[in-house]
Amino acid sequence: MIIHTSRFGAVSITVEDVIQFPEGLLGFNELRRFVLLDDPTDEIFAWLQSCEDPQIAFPLLEPELFVATYAVQLSKHDSESIGLGPDEGVRTFSIVTIPQDPTQMTANLKAPVVINVGKRLARQCVLQDNSLAIREPIFTRLQQRVVQNPHLKIKNQAVYKGVAVKLNRPPEVEG
Amino acid sequence: MLVLTRKLGESIAIDDHIKIRVVQIKGKQVRLGIEAPKDTKIHREEVYLAIQNQNQESAATSSESTKAVAELLKSK
Repeated sequence: MIIHTSRFGAVSITVEDVIQFPEGLLGFNELRRFVLLDDPTDEIFAWLQSCEDPQIAFPLLEPELFVATYAVQLSKHDSESIGLGPDEGVRTFSIVTIPQDPTQMTANLKAPVVINVGKRLARQCVLQDNSLAIREPIFTRLQQRVVQNPHLKIKNQAVYKGVAVKLNRPPEVEG
Repeated sequence: MLVLTRKLGESIAIDDHIKIRVVQIKGKQVRLGIEAPKDTKIHREEVYLAIQNQNQESAATSSESTKAVAELLKSK
C-alpha cells in the first residue's frame, strides 16, 4: 500500500509495517495508524509517520543514546494495551522537539512511545516516575556521542532494525 | 460531570480501591490525599497538557530541521 506524507512524498509500505496505536498519541487521539520510517538522508532520527495524516510525523530517538540508564516501568494497563505477552519484547523511543535554536532540542523521557514489535501495537506511556522530564535537553549529550565516535553515525549506534521502513532514497555521499 | 460536596477530612471512593480525601483547605488551595492500587497512574492534569504540547510541537518538525541538527552536531 502507498501512504502519502508531506515530508517524504509517497511511501510504499506493507500492511505488516503499520504500527497500531489503539489509543492514539496524547493530543492526536484520532490518529491510530503509524509507520516508523528510516530516511537514509537523515543521520540521526527515525520518524513516526501517521498513515492517516500526511502532515503528522514525529522525530524519534532511542533514549539509550542520551540516557545511560533508562528503565521503563510499564503499568499493567500499559502492557495490556499493547498486548504484551511474557516473552515479547518492546522497543522504546523518545519524541523529540527541535526549536528554532537546535541546541535547545529536547526529548520526552516522561512519556515514551513503547512498541510491541511482534504484535505491532504501541502506546505513548506516561510513566509514573516523577524524576523523568517531559523536555529533557539532549543536544550536548548527542554531541558527546559524536565526539566519542566521530566516524560512527548516531543512527548506526541506534538500530531501528525490524521496526523501521527504510525509505528508498539515495544516501548522501559521505565526505 | 458528577459534582460532590465534601468537608475537610471527608473522602470519596472510586471503584472499590481508590479513595480521595480532602486533607487540607487553605484559601484557594485544596490538598488531596489519594489512596490507590500501586498500578494506578496519578498525575496532575498539567502533566498531560505539557505532553500534548510537546507532541504538537514535535509533529510540526520539518525534515530540514532534523538535518540541521546533524550538521550542527558535526560542526561544533
